[in-house]
Amino acid sequence: MTQENALRIFKSLSDMSRLRIVRSLTQGDMYTELLAERLDLTPSTVSFHMKKLEEAGLVVSRKEQYYTVYSLDRSVLEQSLFDVAASEPEQTDEQQKREEEYHRKVIDSFFEYGKLRAIPVQRKKKLICYEVIAERFAPGKVYSEKEVNGIIAPVYEDYCTVRRDMIGEGILQRNGSEYVRVR
Amino acid sequence: MKEFIEYLTRQIDAGRDDIMALEKDGRQDDADFAKVRTNIYEVCRTVTNALKDRPNAGAGAVKAQLERFRTAWQAALDKAREHGDARNIVVEETKLAALADVAAHFPEADR
Repeated sequence: MTQENALRIFKSLSDMSRLRIVRSLTQGDMYTELLAERLDLTPSTVSFHMKKLEEAGLVVSRKEQYYTVYSLDRSVLEQSLFDVAASEPEQTDEQQKREEEYHRKVIDSFFEYGKLRAIPVQRKKKLICYEVIAERFAPGKVYSEKEVNGIIAPVYEDYCTVRRDMIGEGILQRNGSEYVRVR
Repeated sequence: MKEFIEYLTRQIDAGRDDIMALEKDGRQDDADFAKVRTNIYEVCRTVTNALKDRPNAGAGAVKAQLERFRTAWQAALDKAREHGDARNIVVEETKLAALADVAAHFPEADR
């Protein structure tokens, strides 16, 4: 286990509602509605807490007919607190980690459910957003202008500006009426 | 309208108590959702106070504004569900539940 995983575990458990959910699950697997009734929470609130516990690796879910059934991942919970607390940090380059964090923040700020809210004014942020859009294009594949517009339009309604900017920034290359992703 | 505003004020006070109790119980996320619910009562009180005595506004305008909220929040809930956004599903459901409660307490004669 890495220190990052340990932090996710401690964060997810530092909430009484989630601790109560974990305690209930020690008695057996349960589905959302039953947990909601037991803990006097709405089913959607339970689902929210379960997602946090799942992200921390403490809980696993499975579908049974119409229900989502949750159970504890005992392999994580049965580790000693000493081992979890003593976990080593992930071996990643600090600079790279900061860059990734910055990218994530920019994407979270400027995208909502895959749609670009606005074109960032700052060039660095704009490039990050355009790189996200560029992922919709297969590198090296030739696209017509209509296809390019059709790919960008669901992300941002002013697709002409984005298309032109992406060419200007060297992300897309235009040869006559053909477009290719080059970056 | 006076009783309706008093009702909203009672809900706001009760909501603040809930927030404090949840925070004290170490349930920060649930406390955040209680803040969302309490904020809806505050918004409704502000809207009611602003529109109730305005010429050509009154109860009809308050009701119309509440309906606009409902439409917008239902759309936001649908969007959150479509994307499996667990936090926003709870937030939008909480807002709509509080709004339904407010609508149920809207003065009978003005409904």
